[in-house]
Formats: sequence, C-alpha cells, structure tokens
Amino acid sequence: MKNLQVIIATVFFVAALFVPLTVPTDYTLQVLFRVFLFAALGLAWNLVGGYAGQLSLGHAAYFGVGAYGLALFSKLGIPPWPSVALGVLMAVVSAAMIGKVSFRLRGPYFALCTIAFAEVLRLVAKNLPNVTGGDVGVQVPALFTHSAARSFYWSGVLLTASAFALTAWVERSRFGYYLMAIREDQDTALSVGVNASRCKLWALLISAAITGLGGALYASMFLFIVPDQVLAMEISTEIAIVAMLGGAGTLLGPLVGSVVLETAAEVFKNIFKEAHLLIYGVLIVLVVLFMPEGIIGTLTSKLGLFKKAPRVPFAAPLPLAAEEETQRTAISE
Amino acid sequence: MLNWIYVALQAILNGLLTGALYALIGMGMALIFGVMRIVNFTHGAFLMMGMYITYVVFQATGVSPYYQFPIAGFLLFLVGYVTYLGLLRPIRGQVDFMVILLTMGLALILVDGAQLIFGADYHQINIPLLSRNIRVGSQIFINAPWLVSFAIAAALACILYWVVTHTMFGRAARAIAQNPYAAPLMGINVNRIQAAAFGIGSAAAGIAGALLLPVFYLFPDVGNQFKLKSFVMVVLGGMGSIQGAAIAGLVLGVVESLTSLYWGNEWALAVDFVLFILVLSLKPSGIFGSQRA
Amino acid sequence: MFLEVKNVSKRFGGLKAINNVSFSVKPGEVTFIVGPNGAGKTTLFNLITSVFHPDSGSIHFDGRDISHLTPNDAAKSGIGRTFQLVKPLRNLTVLENVMLGAFLRTSSPGRAETEAARVLRFLQMEKVLHLPARGMGLPMLKRLEIARALATQPKLILLDEVVAGLPTSEAIKLAMLLKRLPEWGISTIGGIEHVMQVVMRIADRVIVLDHGTLIAEGAPQDVVHRPEVIEAYLGSKYKEIAS
Repeated sequence: MKNLQVIIATVFFVAALFVPLTVPTDYTLQVLFRVFLFAALGLAWNLVGGYAGQLSLGHAAYFGVGAYGLALFSKLGIPPWPSVALGVLMAVVSAAMIGKVSFRLRGPYFALCTIAFAEVLRLVAKNLPNVTGGDVGVQVPALFTHSAARSFYWSGVLLTASAFALTAWVERSRFGYYLMAIREDQDTALSVGVNASRCKLWALLISAAITGLGGALYASMFLFIVPDQVLAMEISTEIAIVAMLGGAGTLLGPLVGSVVLETAAEVFKNIFKEAHLLIYGVLIVLVVLFMPEGIIGTLTSKLGLFKKAPRVPFAAPLPLAAEEETQRTAISE
Repeated sequence: MLNWIYVALQAILNGLLTGALYALIGMGMALIFGVMRIVNFTHGAFLMMGMYITYVVFQATGVSPYYQFPIAGFLLFLVGYVTYLGLLRPIRGQVDFMVILLTMGLALILVDGAQLIFGADYHQINIPLLSRNIRVGSQIFINAPWLVSFAIAAALACILYWVVTHTMFGRAARAIAQNPYAAPLMGINVNRIQAAAFGIGSAAAGIAGALLLPVFYLFPDVGNQFKLKSFVMVVLGGMGSIQGAAIAGLVLGVVESLTSLYWGNEWALAVDFVLFILVLSLKPSGIFGSQRA
Repeated sequence: MFLEVKNVSKRFGGLKAINNVSFSVKPGEVTFIVGPNGAGKTTLFNLITSVFHPDSGSIHFDGRDISHLTPNDAAKSGIGRTFQLVKPLRNLTVLENVMLGAFLRTSSPGRAETEAARVLRFLQMEKVLHLPARGMGLPMLKRLEIARALATQPKLILLDEVVAGLPTSEAIKLAMLLKRLPEWGISTIGGIEHVMQVVMRIADRVIVLDHGTLIAEGAPQDVVHRPEVIEAYLGSKYKEIAS
C-alpha cells in the first residue's frame, strides 16, 4: 500500500530525530547528515527524473548555485539565513532558464543538455576568481554556531522529511499524475490537455529549490567551497544514482537508495580506500543489469510489496516490437 | 602590425591539426550513436585505455605510437565488441538512460582501475619527433607530431567514411540505424553488426588515444574531456552523421584554439559547451543535420 | 457545436498532404472520413487537434478559430481524440490511464477516479480496472483509448481507426457501443475507418479523401457506389463496375 510507505517513513523520521542523543561522535553525525542530505537531493531529483521521467544529469547546477549563493551573498554583507533564501531563489531562477531550453529536447539530448549547463556553471565559477574565488574557493558562513554537528544533522532530517512529504503529496495529486503521464507518453498527455512544458518546468523548479537548499547546507557545514566540489558532475551522478538505486518514481526509493549508497561509500572509503570508485562503478553496473527498477521498484514488482493496485515503477522495459507490428498492418498512413 | 594575422592563422592551423584528432574521436561516437542510439559514456575511458596500452608498449619496445597505434585500435575493437555483446545488448530493451548509467558505471570501473594499476601520476613520453618543427611561410610553424597525427587521423577518417558508405558492413549498419525492426528481416545479423560498430567506434577512440600520447599528459581521467567533446561533436554534426561529426571536430578544434588565444585556455571547454547549448536550442538537428532531434 | 473546415491545405516538404479540403460537421452527426492509404486522413485529424497547423485555410469549432492552438488547448476546447497506434500509459493501471482524461475537468483525484470508473463501466471494462495497461490485448487497449478520450468530456470526439486490427466480431461490438455515445453528451463524432461494416452501420455522413483531396461526400450508401470513389480505391480499371 502506498500508505505503508508513508507510515514507514514517518516512523523512520521520528526515530531519526532522537539519534543525536545516542551517537557519540561528531564525525558519525556528519556521515548521517550526508545520508539525509543525499536522500533529500534524491527525492528532489526524483520529481523530475523519476516521476516525470526526465533524466537530469546536471542537478549539481542547482546544488552549486545554492552553495555559491550563500557564500557570495553573505560576502556582500547579507546575513546567513537570508543569503540561503537568496541562494535558493537563484537556484530556482537557474532552473527556469535551464528548463526552458532543455525541456524542448527529448531523450538523451535532454540529459546531455543538462550536463552542458552544469559544466558551464562549473567552468564559469572556476574562471572568474574575482567573483567566485575561482579554484581557490570561497568562504561560507556558519549557519549554526552552537553544537553544529547536531544542528546540521537535524536540518538534514528536516529537509528530507519535508522533501518526502512534498513528494507524497505530489504523488497523489493531479500534478503527480500529469508528471507520470508525461513520462509514459508525452504525446498522449498532450492530447488530453496536459500542458507538458509547464508541468515539467514546475517539477524542475521545486526540485531545484530543494537541491539548492541542500547545497547551501552542505556548503555551510564545510565552511569553504570550490567549484570542483559543489558543481562537479560527480554530484549530479551521485544524486541520480541514489534515486535510481532506491527506485526512481517511488516514494521510499531515494531514502533507501541514500541509506544504502552513502553508508556503503563510507564503509568502502575506509576499507578499500583507493578502489572505492571502482566498487561504486561495479555497483552501478550491477544495478542496471539486474535491478533496473531499483530496490523499492524490484520489491514492488517482484514481491508485490507496497502495492495497492499494481503500479510498476519507471524503469521497466519498453514493449516488444511485435505489439506494434500487429497494429502497423492496419495503418492507413 | 600584420603580426596578429599570423598569430591568428597559427591558432587556426593548430586548431585544424587538433581538430583532426577530435574528428576521429567524434566519428567513433557518431557511429555508435547513429547505429544504436547509445550515448556512450565509456568513450573517454576507451581513449584512455588506448593511451595506456600505447604507453606500455612504448616503454617496453620503444616503438613510436605513430607505428604501433593499430595495436591499440585492434585491442579496443575487441574490448568494444565484447562490451556491447556482454553488457549493452542485454539491456537494449530498457529506457535510454539505463544505457547511459551503465556506460557511466563502466567508465568509473575503467578509470579507477587504471588508477589502481598505473597510479594517479601524470605520465608522458619523449620521442625525437617532438622537437621537430616544420616551417610554413615566414611566421607559421607546424609541430611535427601534430602533423603526423593529423595525417593518420585524416586517413583513418576517410577510411571509416568509405567503410560506412561502400561496404556491406556499412550498408548493414545504416540499414539498422534507419529501421532496427526491418533489418533482421533482410538477413542482417543485427547483433554482430551492432557489436562491430561499437567495436569500430571504440577502436577509433583507442587510436586517438595512441596518437595523443606524444603530445598530451597521460593520467587516469584523461578521457573525460574528450568524452564530453565527442558529445558536442555528435550534436553539432547532427544525429549520428559521421561526416558531420568529422567537420564538427575540425570546427571544435579551431574554435577552441582561437578561444585559447584570445581568452585563455581555461575557457576552451566552456565555449564548447556554450556552442553545444546554442546548437541544441536553435537547431537541434545539428549544423549539418536535416532531421529533428 | 459544430466543426467547420474551410479550404485547409498542408504540405510537408515537397508533399501536399492536404489539398484545399472543406467540410463541416453538424451537431448530432456521425461523420466518417474514408479513403485509401496515404490519403491524408490522420493528417486531417492532426490539423483539427492542432498537432500541426494548416498552411492555409481555417478550422472553426463551436464558433472559435482553432487552427493555431496547441494540442492541449484543443483538448480543453472540447475535442477528444484517440490515436491510430494505441498509446497507453504502460506503467499505470487501466483506471489510472483513464483518470488522466478525467483530470482535464477536475483536479481532485477522488472525483477523477469516480468519473474514470464510470466511463470504464460504460465500455464494459470493469474487470480490468486495476490491471496494468502493459499486459492488455489490443481490443482492450482500443477501448482504453476511447475511455480516456471520453473522460475528458468532449463535445466532439475523433476516433482514428478505432477498430483497426480487431476481429470483425469485436469491431461490430465496439461499433454498437459507439452508437450510444450521444448518451454521453457527445453530440458529434468524427472517425477514420477502413472497416466498411462499421462505417455503414453508424455513419450519417461519409467524406472520401484521396491524395489529400476531398473527392466525395454524402450518405454512406450513396458515396460507396460513386465511380470516383471506386477508382480511388481500386484503380481506374474498376470504374466501370460502378452502376
């Protein structure tokens, strides 16, 4: 049942709030912050990539704009939290511009376009040292001065819970249906009155806002950012993979994906050190080959969990050519 | 006062020389994209592999890359062929971006693997040709290695074009590109042709890597920028058109060269992407293409 | 509520797909467009639903000029359509597929679900409500197309080859259901058909297209015997068969 996913998540979030009381080290809290951050980022990406089916590989753009927004606006003298708001606003504005251009493209062209935009932003940040500090980087104000590790952790939980609630609401609304229809067949959606461009854009704007906010939080935790850290394609890929590993187009997917991926990454970093990227790559390949619907998706379709009515998540295979053949014989033009 | 003309001409010339190498890489990507609609994120890693193979052979035997590049080509053909049959074909039925994700994962494995084997250090080789410069006119120089790589790349590009337009393989590949459902009905072994196309595309990347070795630093992630540039070339050139990608490669080389001259090296890649975005938004079918993207 | 197509032409590159076609459809009428392969029938539908825009001429619906809208605006104006090649939303259930149509008129998922269920009951599809669209056979998918269009509460519905690929018995069953569409407040129906049994049974008027040109129109029984029509389908040798 869809509601089962909501219940599980709610229990999870409430329990999460108590974690700092039991966890000893700041370092562990930082790791957990990262888990929640990427869960939130994955949920944000999921709106565009999972529900609407538009594979964005350039979400680092919004992450980085949020981060740099916080850094640069506070350099202008604006206090930290208003700077965060402005950073998020800039992320949304970027999304409006990027979306306007990119959403006219279909399939792989859309993905490549999102990569291009994110890369342009990264290179601009690198090459304008007078504005952004260039490769040397820029300072970021601390949003929390008192017991920082706990505060960041809780803000991470809060961000994720909000993103989750938002996704749950979207999933049940007409907007959510429209996004899924666009994903399945945009022409059909158009023929029943769906304004596909507007829907996709709105999904992206919401997604960018959450992502930008996440970027600002992340930046503030590190107190210093460089372009190759917050605008890197690695961030875009990680966000997309978190969502897809867990299950794109599902509610719990990004949450599960982040828990699995980020804890695995942390473990690998300590055990395998140099080879952790290789293991990461192997993981991606295995998921694509054997579990393309992600964890939640596979659980739903193979084991029938989380189903109210059979709804198969997004990465299921396309129809056989044969189906189309029987229809082609009857076609007039 | 005429100096700036010479400086600009030199930049354009250098751009063309580099562009030929780009063209080779781009044509490989265009072949793969054209025949199979695969956006191959492993392309850069294959270039890197070609480069390391050539490096190892050079260190062991001293044979110049300009003679031994067929080795890299052959090996990468095999790698590509097997990769397609083993990893890509099984997921053909799935949505586009699963393929993107798979090739991304594969690239990560190859790049990190290279780092484990060779270390993260930068390598370079020295061949006598490197110090030879050829004079053209009074003010223009051509660095000899680039001329040799231009010649080889240009020759290979022509051969590739001929193969695609005049051989049975080429015709079969184009048939599959136009109508993947009808092709098997005409006796075309789709799997083998596609695997071969992927192999050839990968071989092109590998050979480009070999040709790059004398003039470029070798390190595990060297392929990344070339992968991104191949996407730009495929889009500029139009929907998997090999000729288009070749011309786009030359264009890209010149544009980057002039950008570096007037604005600095660091903006070259950014200009590539801006060009990319412009073409995608204004003429998605590519500068030389005629269909819709 | 009627449709008026006036002197509409459309070319694609060098090919003139629709050549100066004019006709109108009155409320309460069932009109079918017929013609050999490649005649331009689906193109005409695409023009009416603003998938393409006419190069010249105009299309009016319910008094408004609809020649240059977007497909989703056309749907909002009250024109529903089905596609020749069925395009179900494969990963959603039958009910969810039809809800998509219902969402045009309501933003509440609850009401959309009720309306969708109502439409599906009319099309005798109660048993498959919660099955994924992906596993359905062609007859069900054709009904699904119609259901989704019906859920948008259209005033005019365009059915593109709605019985194509169906065995004759299925086709006739469906045709009989279609005859009851006026119960749903859809006063006007347009269709494209090859299957003449369906056309003869339910059409009030028939329009014949050949190579983008309108060559005949009138009651089905009349049009079918006209020499130009027979020639268009079978070639000039058979013109003499017409009596």
